[in-house]
Amino acid sequence: MDLVTVTGLSKRYGGIVALSDATFSARAGEVHALLGENGAGKSTFIQILSGAVQHDAGAIMVDGRDYRPANPDGAQARGIAAVFQELSLIPDLTVEQNIWFRREPLTPLRTVRRAELRRRTLALLEKYDFPPLRPDQELRRLTLAERQIVEIAKGLAKEPRILILDEATSALPAREAEWLLKLTRQLAAEGRLVIFISHRMAEVRAIADRLTIFRNGRTVAAHEAGAVSDEEIVTQMIGRHLDRLYPERVATATDRIALKVTGLSSGSRLSGVDFALREGEVLGVGGLQGHGQRELFQALFGATRASGRLELWGKPASIGNPRQALTGRDGIALVPEDRRGQGLLLTKSVRENLTLSVIGRFSRRGFLSRQKEAELVREMVGFLRIKADTPEQAAGTLSGGNQQKVIFGKMLLTEARVLLLYDPTRGVDVGTKGEIFQLMRDLAAKGYAILFHSSDMPELVHVADRVLVMRNGRVAATLEGERISEAEILRAAMLQREAA
Amino acid sequence: MSAFLARNRLIVLAYAGMVVLLLVTALFSPGFLSVSNMRSTVVLAAFVGIVALGQTLVIIGGGIDLSVPWVLNSAAIVMALLCGGQDMPLLWVMPLLLAGGGLIGLVNGIGVAHFGVPPIIMTLATNVILQGLILVLTGGSPTPSAPALIQFLSVGRIAGFPVIALIWIALTAAATLLLSKAAFGRHLYALGTSATVAEFSGVPTARTTILTYVISGLTAAFAGMLLTGYSGQAYLGMGDAYLFTSIAAVAIGGASILGGSGHYLGTVAGAMVLTILTGLLPALNLSSGALLVVYGAVILITVSIGSETFAGLGTRMRRG
Amino acid sequence: MSIAERPVEDKMSKPGSDWRGRLLDRAPFLVACLMLALIVGIYGSLQSGVFSLDELNLDTAAAMTLMLAATGQTIVLLRGGIDLSIGGMISLGTVIAATRFTDDPATVALWVLVILGLGLVIGALNGLLISLLKLQPFLVTLATWSILNGAAMMILPTDGGSVPGWWVGFASAQLLGLTSPVWMLLALLVFWAWFRATRVGIAIQATGSNEKSAFLSGVSITRVNVVTYGLSGLFAAGAALYLTTQTGAGSPTIGKDYILPSVAAAVIGGVSLFGGRGHLAGTLIGAFVLTLIGNLVFVMHVSSYWQPVASGVILLLSVLASSVAEKAARGRVQ
Repeated sequence: MDLVTVTGLSKRYGGIVALSDATFSARAGEVHALLGENGAGKSTFIQILSGAVQHDAGAIMVDGRDYRPANPDGAQARGIAAVFQELSLIPDLTVEQNIWFRREPLTPLRTVRRAELRRRTLALLEKYDFPPLRPDQELRRLTLAERQIVEIAKGLAKEPRILILDEATSALPAREAEWLLKLTRQLAAEGRLVIFISHRMAEVRAIADRLTIFRNGRTVAAHEAGAVSDEEIVTQMIGRHLDRLYPERVATATDRIALKVTGLSSGSRLSGVDFALREGEVLGVGGLQGHGQRELFQALFGATRASGRLELWGKPASIGNPRQALTGRDGIALVPEDRRGQGLLLTKSVRENLTLSVIGRFSRRGFLSRQKEAELVREMVGFLRIKADTPEQAAGTLSGGNQQKVIFGKMLLTEARVLLLYDPTRGVDVGTKGEIFQLMRDLAAKGYAILFHSSDMPELVHVADRVLVMRNGRVAATLEGERISEAEILRAAMLQREAA
Repeated sequence: MSAFLARNRLIVLAYAGMVVLLLVTALFSPGFLSVSNMRSTVVLAAFVGIVALGQTLVIIGGGIDLSVPWVLNSAAIVMALLCGGQDMPLLWVMPLLLAGGGLIGLVNGIGVAHFGVPPIIMTLATNVILQGLILVLTGGSPTPSAPALIQFLSVGRIAGFPVIALIWIALTAAATLLLSKAAFGRHLYALGTSATVAEFSGVPTARTTILTYVISGLTAAFAGMLLTGYSGQAYLGMGDAYLFTSIAAVAIGGASILGGSGHYLGTVAGAMVLTILTGLLPALNLSSGALLVVYGAVILITVSIGSETFAGLGTRMRRG
Repeated sequence: MSIAERPVEDKMSKPGSDWRGRLLDRAPFLVACLMLALIVGIYGSLQSGVFSLDELNLDTAAAMTLMLAATGQTIVLLRGGIDLSIGGMISLGTVIAATRFTDDPATVALWVLVILGLGLVIGALNGLLISLLKLQPFLVTLATWSILNGAAMMILPTDGGSVPGWWVGFASAQLLGLTSPVWMLLALLVFWAWFRATRVGIAIQATGSNEKSAFLSGVSITRVNVVTYGLSGLFAAGAALYLTTQTGAGSPTIGKDYILPSVAAAVIGGVSLFGGRGHLAGTLIGAFVLTLIGNLVFVMHVSSYWQPVASGVILLLSVLASSVAEKAARGRVQ
């Protein structure tokens, strides 16, 4: 009999349908993988399951009884715990305080029994063979990987019958990730249900008994893991053939160097990056996560302190802050990583967001011309086909794809012709993804020079003219033409790792 | 027009509240709407309004200025001391003290923007430091009476209009221009909404922050000098009430204390509401204690309405 | 999609103690201790008999009102909020005491309970308003400050009233050579040690550290706010009662003198304005610093008006010190 059965589950956020009519079922004692692209509805699904978010419609049965938790406590009461990506941890509490938060053993004076807390922590860590952690260390001193492990410990401390692991391996180094996979099997063997979310096919293949695939907020398929091929899974996740997503790659690069970077360094994350970006070129930046890609983009944009030489269109340039970067025809514009935190004023209108970086373009002696502004806005809304009721609509009410278009518009309104795109398709629907890739090629054809990072390797392979592969804060390889493939990128990213 | 109303609902509400309050007051005290009484109400509101101009800008930018009371008081006292009751020195004393107020604002702004000191602490510190320095300077003794010229600015009239009301109108026009028509205004709203997004969008965040505190220093110092003219003398503690009223006027005018929204036009209504209430209570035979209770209640009610609007926006966002 | 696709940034940290990081964390507190030591040192070199029990008794008596108010404020700051209403509560408490206390101890006891209860309830209302209407603590408590202050003025328009003589004698009552304020100081520290180890105390700190994480861990934010501001109101009421033993009368305006100093004492003592970090020991040291500055100015034979200047400068210095330390700490993490 199934431990969890979900039928007709739906959830909307404003205009965005996160889940519609999703179904799911899983048994005790299995590892059940949840697959889908970004924005497919996986995270909404597990947020509902863990009580963090309430669904609009549909039914969840756990143990044959109706289940509708009002909050995470409600979920815990039914034996369900979720391990998110360091979401529920408190920076100023210690590791052990975090693991047992709100369930601490108490003395008769209602204070925490510290010795017992320590004992329980060590027992838990030992039972599941955790990587070394210091129980008395404050969480904010830990690395991302260690925090993720604490989050896992916190989930396990609740002795759940159903444990949800959301991309729990993505922040872990190799050895710790393997430990987690083994742990997952151990938990299933103890008769628990583990719902496992990962983007990594190999991991899913290694541990999952069954898998459920989400796309655009719907359940598209559920399989026994052994009965389905990788290709089938990918096709079901994407829902159409890959090649239609990507525009034809026409070489538009000229010989003119738009951006020349020599010896760019920043802290320990970026050490001596050299490359040249040409006019009309889409230059991909790849490599394993966390090898300096983020710092490279931020340093070029002046958002992080860095040393090294920059030349823009043949002239030496110094960029100390984003304001300098954005100024003039020799400027650099950025589509930032964090759309809501760095890119958009969510409560302000589409108009105000679009023109925020170019107020000088429609003002004279510091005073605005609303008419000129309206022209710019109209032009950009039309050009990018931004779907908004009026330009006065608050940017936060748009769909993810349209929000990203507003950020693109904001960038294109500046006169900068060197564009830095950091993961521009993240959390964007498939249709808009295609539009963004087409736009990138069109801009390249117009003579823009584009530096492009994506956390999704196939995007680099299909869109970029050349790919810089970063490793340990340096450019480890530059791939061109036929050599651009996922295998080559990975090889360059990992080669000599033992030596490094 | 309806779009304007929708966007500035809280400001419109503040004015509606002001009108209702006026009518209610007139009901209880028939003389209230008389020309002379309205004139004195506007004069009193102008002092609050002028101080609150700087406060409005600072709050829209996401900060707060607690140094207002003693910037005001310092300007008042130093002006009285330097002028010694004569008009002529005003010609250099006024610009000097405005610059002084601006300088205090500059220090506040640099502390907040460049040294990362929380605005509450930064402006609290400059406030007590100024307070101490002025106390040391005067030794607690009274100052000479205010020069006639400054009295003219505070209580004089031009063609029946109080001069200070004309000054207030001019300042309101200037602030409106700054917030609605100038690049500075755009920068300021962006800064108050999200400092990170503003920085990433090329907004000169530090310069904008500093400028708001400088303007706040200027308006507080200016108000201090005018207030000296109004009372005929500068005295210790004359600025104390303006900390509360300047923040209250901004809040009643519909600005969010978190920054990013609001307008000086709303603050003008807020200043009027606070002052009309002061006039209403004697008519109802209520004490000054009751006035404070009413002030508190009015703030709670207006910010609750603001919060409701926000909640309403939230549901609209969810329903799309 | 490969198992090998691993971020290298996410190394496991090296074993061993991070003593420098811990030191930087405590820097604001240590700076406060240093300031206090410096002030006491100068004070002691200019005045004889500073290092005596009598002096401790006197200074603690002088600082206790601020200490009580700042204890409540520290809890609120730990939660990541601010409470301006304590000024109103202190005024209201003193005027109720000065108008209702009689020579009869039973009556006094009753009114003490009423005042403390009032503080608790009004504080809890603050917390409720903040949570239910999703309002900013600054504005809510500014409004309730005004209301409470107004209520105090309605009860007693100007300074006056009186409390019984035996009540005034409370602050000089001695046990084992220590006066009651010193015992109160110790009681505050004991309370803090207890409170910080309770689930509620941890939940308040956690909510101040990261509200969203706390919520996702199942903390009821409303409950946290009610308890936090309720305690702040309770301590403000306690401060009011203590204050009447010092002044012997009620004052409808005296409370405002404690609002911002209570924040300043906490900040000087290393309590973060952004929540989640700080200890009462720091706040109490901050309160001592602010109080002793007055003594220092007095024995230096300069105008007592230098006291606010000195406290403002100290406040700025300590904030700058902690922001430098924070930057250093952050630099180390990255």
